[in-house]
Amino acid sequence: MNLLSMDSEKLEMLLIDYIDGKLTEAERQQVEQELVRNEKAFRVYEQLKEVIHAIDKAKKLEPSHELKKQFDEFLATEIKASKKEAKTIHFQPAFYRVAAAVALLIIGGGIGFWISKNNDQQQRLAVIEAELRATKTTMMGLMDNQQSASQRLQGINVALTMGSADDEVVKALVKRMNEDPNTNVRLAALDALSKFHTEPQVRKVLLDALSTQKDPMVQIALIQLMVKMKEKSVVNDLQKIVDDSESMKAVKDEAYSGLLILS
Amino acid sequence: MTDEMIMEAVKNGDLQQASLLFERYNKRIYNFLARMTMDRALAEDLTQNVFLRIIKYRNSYREGLRFQSWIYQVARNIFSDHYQMHKNRFSDFVDVEKISEHITERNESEALEEQEKLLERSMAMLSQEQRELLVLTRFQHMKYEDVAVIMDTTVANIKVKVHRAIAKLREHYFELEKI
Repeated sequence: MNLLSMDSEKLEMLLIDYIDGKLTEAERQQVEQELVRNEKAFRVYEQLKEVIHAIDKAKKLEPSHELKKQFDEFLATEIKASKKEAKTIHFQPAFYRVAAAVALLIIGGGIGFWISKNNDQQQRLAVIEAELRATKTTMMGLMDNQQSASQRLQGINVALTMGSADDEVVKALVKRMNEDPNTNVRLAALDALSKFHTEPQVRKVLLDALSTQKDPMVQIALIQLMVKMKEKSVVNDLQKIVDDSESMKAVKDEAYSGLLILS
Repeated sequence: MTDEMIMEAVKNGDLQQASLLFERYNKRIYNFLARMTMDRALAEDLTQNVFLRIIKYRNSYREGLRFQSWIYQVARNIFSDHYQMHKNRFSDFVDVEKISEHITERNESEALEEQEKLLERSMAMLSQEQRELLVLTRFQHMKYEDVAVIMDTTVANIKVKVHRAIAKLREHYFELEKI
């Protein structure tokens, strides 16, 4: 290192490190030699030393007590505010809120599903009812057709396919059984009615029919039905048929065998 | 407990721990800002703001970052925010003659007071960057490595700049001494 060839700026940098004690032993010796023979360098060195020492001696500045007081006040408010936040979080953790939301969703979904299912069922029922009403109307229309016995038969066959018979249908069937000019229709009507014989009003109609029915074919079918129904209350009616001189022999025989079974 | 551990605790909601950080750093930050602003009252306000900001924005403290670097970065930001807000750079309005009255107290020995006044006035004549470098490295004895982090530059760069700042300070100091 040749200090003489160095510009003053570089020399000054070296002098600062010299004052700071940051030079190697070799560098330190060279700087010291330079200071001895270079008056300008020595002056700079003296000035640098004074400035650096001035900085080192510069006293630490003390803030007023107000700084700590204000800080403590701020911190207290901030802690209070954060506790408030924490409270809401602790008493209502996100987990519970999520759980509540999920529960509401499930309940809502359940209710919605139930309502829609109910609606669905009701709609289906309404469709079936509408279909039944339409079928009944068609059936009654068919049974009322005075021109065509086959149409009336068809109506009765529709009645046979029904699970149950309301008053209107029973009345229509009874009318067919008692009044229809066609034997086949009358028998079909009896057949249809016998299907519903467990229903009280049908049973009564059938019992009444036994005493009023004049068609031998129907009378025989009725007697057979009564036997099948084990209807003991018809014994008197059967006795009347047996005693009636106007009754056909086949009917009388049927009534007699019925009497034997039931009495 | 290290500053970093305390700051992590503060970040995790233990705000009371912030008073420990205040105890450790309030004087250093105050001194830094007082030397930068040359105004003790203002420095006190700005120091207060540094700690307010640290608590308010505790969640922005990144784990692994040295707390010292962070708090000085906050202090630097607050300092420059203040001057940007007032649309004035320090050199535009500081009356060099009055600085020492602002910053020094009266009950001190005459000689020391004179020397200190001279130093303050010389410091005021430096650029903001040079003043900052000297405050951090010379007044606060911070390592070049730490200053490099705070000022976001290299250690070599800091070293060269600090040397130049000292040289400049010497010039101003002895120019003023002649007056």
